[in-house]
Amino acid sequence: MPYHEFECSKCIPERKQHAVIKGPGEDLTHALPLGHLNTIPGSISERGCAYCGAKHVIGTPMKDVIHLSHGPTGCTYDTWQTKRYISDNDNFQLKYTFASDVKEKHIVFGAEKVLKQNIIEAFKAFPDIKRMTIYQTCATALIGDDVDAIAEEVMEEMPEVDIFVCNSPGFAGPSQSGGHHKINIAWIKKKVGTVEPKITSDYVINYVGEYNIQGDQEVMLDYFKRMGVQVLSTFTGNGSYDELRGMHRAHLNVLECARSAEYICNELKVKYGIPRLDIEGFGFEPLSSSLRKIGLFFGIEERAQAIIDEETARWKPELDWYKERLKGKKVCLWPGGSKLWHWAHVIHEEMGVEVVSVYTKFGHQGDMEKGIARCEEGALAVDDPNELEGLEAMMTLKPDVIFTGKRPGEVAKKIRVPYLNAHAYHNGPYKGYEGWVRFARDIYNAIYSPIHQLAHLDISKDEIPAGAGFQTAKMLSDLNLSEEVVSSSTLRQYTGKYDSVSSLRTKTYPEFKKKERSE
Amino acid sequence: MEEKKERIAQLEDYIMKKCLWQFHSRAWDRKTQNENILKKATQLLCDEPVELETPLDRCYWADALSLTEGFRSNYKWLAALSKEEIKELMGDLKERIDFVTITGSLNAELTDPRY
Repeated sequence: MPYHEFECSKCIPERKQHAVIKGPGEDLTHALPLGHLNTIPGSISERGCAYCGAKHVIGTPMKDVIHLSHGPTGCTYDTWQTKRYISDNDNFQLKYTFASDVKEKHIVFGAEKVLKQNIIEAFKAFPDIKRMTIYQTCATALIGDDVDAIAEEVMEEMPEVDIFVCNSPGFAGPSQSGGHHKINIAWIKKKVGTVEPKITSDYVINYVGEYNIQGDQEVMLDYFKRMGVQVLSTFTGNGSYDELRGMHRAHLNVLECARSAEYICNELKVKYGIPRLDIEGFGFEPLSSSLRKIGLFFGIEERAQAIIDEETARWKPELDWYKERLKGKKVCLWPGGSKLWHWAHVIHEEMGVEVVSVYTKFGHQGDMEKGIARCEEGALAVDDPNELEGLEAMMTLKPDVIFTGKRPGEVAKKIRVPYLNAHAYHNGPYKGYEGWVRFARDIYNAIYSPIHQLAHLDISKDEIPAGAGFQTAKMLSDLNLSEEVVSSSTLRQYTGKYDSVSSLRTKTYPEFKKKERSE
Repeated sequence: MEEKKERIAQLEDYIMKKCLWQFHSRAWDRKTQNENILKKATQLLCDEPVELETPLDRCYWADALSLTEGFRSNYKWLAALSKEEIKELMGDLKERIDFVTITGSLNAELTDPRY
């Protein structure tokens, strides 16, 4: 597996060890890109910082909490306009964002006093919210503010509140991944075991590494509830602060995003003996296999199978409609971390697309191992790419679409490559059976949008086909399909609703009686 | 010999593409995962009893059962093998998975003493 040197990065020779091409007959022991290292000076990275990883990825999806950044207001930039981890309490955590509003004078004279004032003011402004997380930022960490001491003072004065302090300033790691680690470890050390949860089922899980992007968690919870499984806590999407304090009582940790949350699962296994089961909510087969494994663990596999059968019958014909039209399309799979491996194989198998490149902004070598193992031969795998490398890869590989974040996504658009938002989604949720069809629909719309076809024309030099009449996505996608496929009576386009999540919040579920236990 | 090698490659490819249990973040976890899941998978393929005493056992077993179902439906040649042949094959497969994920792995984080 040869390392790949980008033309644009020849002046940064260290970059060569961060990219490989998966060659025929080669395996992970031949070459593996370096990962989770400080970005090389001169390389304009797409990464976020360790504060961002702690707060904006993991902390803030908790729904019933005042999330306060101890720093300048600019650090709170990521909220409702960039993040889409919704919640079933009217998105409190997205609608309101808090900062202690640190300014230059505080850097000179200290910001502990202003922090305390702001904590109390925030609790008074939202008297129904009794929980708070505080995030250290670069400036306040450098001046040595003792956030823990201030939090303790407030908790003594206001005994009804509970505060969690996360000490993960922006510089505390090479990327957001450093922040994931810090908040995982801090949460288990400081908060797990401080609340005794009510157990209502014989089958109790923590759902870990799930952030409820556009409702992912609520879709998965629907399956778990239909199986009679109690989800004690979700770490952290749509999750509740106090539920997460009771994680130690689960029978099983079900882990989705191992990149951001395997640390807490590993620690829960060591400290409380709770097994870790890695699952996948994306794709029909991986999801079915995951539900079945949870069912097997608890001895209720028939409940899982009933869901698998029902959902597959309902949604598979729609997935296959898109598969017929996406076959052979070239994809650059360029997400942040875990989707690199969650999607690498299953989009090829279930949607027929060819993954020509995988990359990760903040993944570790373990993520690359999984991603490279799952993608097909010939794929270019890149760690922490810079903007020029992304452009060079797109020019060379000529993908039909890329799946990435909004920053590199906008760069792709400039060279007329459509992109789908792999982090926050376009029209999610993407998890679940219906969600997977919604993802396929988004890919289809990205590739076959008539507007996108027009974008390939350069009005300064190309001939504009003014007399060609209008086109639709279907006219473009069905051009070379067989009559059998085009007029199939079984395959159909997505027939779900615009909002596939809200109705789940009022759904009722069968009651599974808890077994009587003798003490 | 070539046939056996080809068969191990097929099983390895299945594990690499469909499973996640072999890629825990530390060498000691990978060792435990590979050992327990492949041991239970071998027992299941040979119709031998599988230990299910502890929650950890059940978790390994769930992964192992899912794996053997995948093996059986994708590789019909498995049905023609004797128990001894299956044990030998699975032993070689474990050696190969251990090599790719632990002993031959280039992942520098595997030996980090902390999570």
